[in-house]
Amino acid sequence: MDILKSTSKPCDILEHPNTGRRSFMWKIGAAMSAVLASAVPGMSRPRIDRDKGLTAQVDQLFNKLGILEDENAIRRLHQTYENLLNNGRYKEVMNLFTDDGEVVFNGGVFKGKKRGVRRLYCDQFSSRLTGRKIEPAPGFRPGIEQQQDMVEVTADRKSARARFTYSIQVGAPIISDSILVKMARLQGQGIMKWWEGGTYEVSYVRDIKDSTWKIKRLEYRVQSKADFRPGRSYARPIFIPPFSKAYPEDQGGPDKLIHPAQGLRKA
Amino acid sequence: MNIPMHRFKYTKLTKEQIDKKLIPTAAGPECASEFSDILSGKSFKIVTKDGPVLDYTFKNKNNLTLSENGGSKVKTGYGALTLKQMVFFSHMIPKSETPRGYNVFVDLDTNLVTVFEVWLSSGRKYPTLGGKEIVVDDREVQRQIYFGYIEVKGQEPPEKLHHLTNRIEGKGMYWKQDTGIETLEFYASVVSSNFVELTRHADDLSYCSPSDYVLINDNMFIYDRTECEFSGIFTLFVADLFTETQAGVRLGFNEKDELEYYMFRGTGKVVGQLAYLEPFDDHGDEPMVVQAESDPQSLGKGQRLVYRPVRDFQYMTDEEVHQAALKKTTAFGGGMDAVQSMAGHNMPFTDMLVGKEFTLRYDSGGPVRHYRITEKYKLKYKEDGETKWHEEDYRAYEADEKLIWFSHILTDSKPRASVQVALDLINGLTTCIHSQMGTKYFGNETSYYAIFGVAEMEGLEAPQYVRHEFTDELLGHAFSWSYTDQMTSMHLYTTPHSHSWTIFTENQTMGAQWCAPCIYVKVRDGIYILSVNEEACNGHEMCVMINTKIIHDCGFGFSGGEGGINLSLTGAIGRHIGQFDVKEYFGSKVKRKGA
Repeated sequence: MDILKSTSKPCDILEHPNTGRRSFMWKIGAAMSAVLASAVPGMSRPRIDRDKGLTAQVDQLFNKLGILEDENAIRRLHQTYENLLNNGRYKEVMNLFTDDGEVVFNGGVFKGKKRGVRRLYCDQFSSRLTGRKIEPAPGFRPGIEQQQDMVEVTADRKSARARFTYSIQVGAPIISDSILVKMARLQGQGIMKWWEGGTYEVSYVRDIKDSTWKIKRLEYRVQSKADFRPGRSYARPIFIPPFSKAYPEDQGGPDKLIHPAQGLRKA
Repeated sequence: MNIPMHRFKYTKLTKEQIDKKLIPTAAGPECASEFSDILSGKSFKIVTKDGPVLDYTFKNKNNLTLSENGGSKVKTGYGALTLKQMVFFSHMIPKSETPRGYNVFVDLDTNLVTVFEVWLSSGRKYPTLGGKEIVVDDREVQRQIYFGYIEVKGQEPPEKLHHLTNRIEGKGMYWKQDTGIETLEFYASVVSSNFVELTRHADDLSYCSPSDYVLINDNMFIYDRTECEFSGIFTLFVADLFTETQAGVRLGFNEKDELEYYMFRGTGKVVGQLAYLEPFDDHGDEPMVVQAESDPQSLGKGQRLVYRPVRDFQYMTDEEVHQAALKKTTAFGGGMDAVQSMAGHNMPFTDMLVGKEFTLRYDSGGPVRHYRITEKYKLKYKEDGETKWHEEDYRAYEADEKLIWFSHILTDSKPRASVQVALDLINGLTTCIHSQMGTKYFGNETSYYAIFGVAEMEGLEAPQYVRHEFTDELLGHAFSWSYTDQMTSMHLYTTPHSHSWTIFTENQTMGAQWCAPCIYVKVRDGIYILSVNEEACNGHEMCVMINTKIIHDCGFGFSGGEGGINLSLTGAIGRHIGQFDVKEYFGSKVKRKGA
């Protein structure tokens, strides 16, 4: 509840990237380069060579530091993504995406921050209470090798990709004319819930406007689904059919249907 | 009153009409019993958590002065009653822009206070489940509960206040007020209750209303209900379970649009207790809140979980429904969702009728149908006098030993109809629930009736006089019915002619409720047919055979609308939750009707 009451924006850290340690590094780096450049005319050749080598080393170092900073920023961005989902703040999730961002979920691609991505989080996820992090279902805990999170930033530091494991609760409204289902909806239920585990395959780009990282594409790559909910001591694998209709035929559906295997490549 | 509350057209009273009708409330409530003068000459300040500070001075037993949050003083009439250590007083605030008042319960033992602020003409907007935005009727009394204490100079505020509770959940009570009004009340949910008007109404029907339950101590509680979607009237009382007595107030407008603002005393009787199934460490002291942002409840003053089904029900004429039926009438093919949501735990189908020919002959000039069954899912039938056989899909269960329960559409019927048939292969008795589209209120509501008769079949010798019959043997019983692992409701057989259903929340607390008239037929010992049309709701019929020996039901759903007519399947596994002992309050022997 404290989190819900908090007035701070979840993405503050992303919206003000030029403050703090990273900004300090950038400024120092720029200043040192300027000093070295102004000193060049008065230096002898060996000294110049040494200085050039030093400059390159410094640049390389700063680049490495910058990449480390970027990796941390991306991990924080992912943490923000998960926190927002955990707290049901679905509307804010879509702000983490680029305008043309997309999400692959359950056999469908949701395209465009204000269209498909919004539809997925604000319509689908919100009404289904989907995305909340829960413990892995008994018997479905991923192996150590599957738990290796990874972040890779490109050398030009304009894009990145990452893989994170997930273990979430997913839900689908029970579609029925039954009055019982409608009444259940009144009290926030009427939702069939299950556990899903897998990896997020995410690509990111740096927003040139404010130098923040944004999600370009996020794919839920499912490994297991089970009829598990917190508190249960057992779980059985279940099959959940993928989306069968695209938007607008399915008002909350994806912009494009893909075969599950296609999701591994770019749709 | 002999029009069911869910069928009665209550006047849409305007704010101006309500303001005018409320003028007499400035003198305070009426009461058949003597008001208490316990507060005369006293003054105290009530401090509430997240609510108002109320500064009261009581001039005598009829007049008080109130200052809210240190504001100007207002004089108004009031009434007070005591119940053990509890003092309950009620008053309205004259000339308020929004008509409103306070109902205050003071615990003299602890100085704890529970305040119910009430108001009308709320203008409250409300999104229905169907996505419509409605404005709540002005006559619907709103309420907000504040927990607090009487400020005592030099004393620290108490750490613990009165609070909501689930300790009353499952209790049933009979009450008789000092007005002569009698009710049965079943507190089967933490946010709702069933009530039966034993004297105000001619029919033995139960209704559901949003309710609150506040725990005072182990034997005392506060209860309220607002008859939302009906008259909007508000009933509130404190009750003592040791002495089975109550003191309360009723505020609002009845079906004649007359103001009811009176306090009452009453005596009662606990008629039973159903088990409540939430975790043992859950005491229900937090309000039930909606869990999804998109749900049609907005947090805020007066919030409560109110089910308003008829607001989304679209009126269709008989002819419109029949045209839809001509386009599409489906039996047992209503899509996987019907199977998933209402029949995930259904009983298996039987082929016991395959190869049989028989005639079902119903009493008093009822239909005579000849059946020839050669397949598990297809049958042939013809009405007496017809030469041509009709072929229809059917599904049959063996609901008890050699007791067949099957259903099919009546070919080319107008209005579209189906039959649900109990056929006892041991004694040759049969009951047919004839279901068809249309009531006098909606073309897209179902209606039904039961007819009794005998089967003529090789090897069967049916009795001449014995028949299945209507029964009250299920009266007061409650069962949970799990249609799937994700969908469970509790049926409470509230009266001989109605029942209610309550939806479990995720932790198995009882939540939203609704109710409808129904019929009960006894087929064998422990085996019953329940048929119900969800009236002024969605118009669907559910017709099940309940086998209490295995606590399983199985049956059929019949419904129609724009999309056509659908004969579907339903079935659930159950648990017996308990029983109320209420038979003595029903039946033609009871003479108090129509008071």
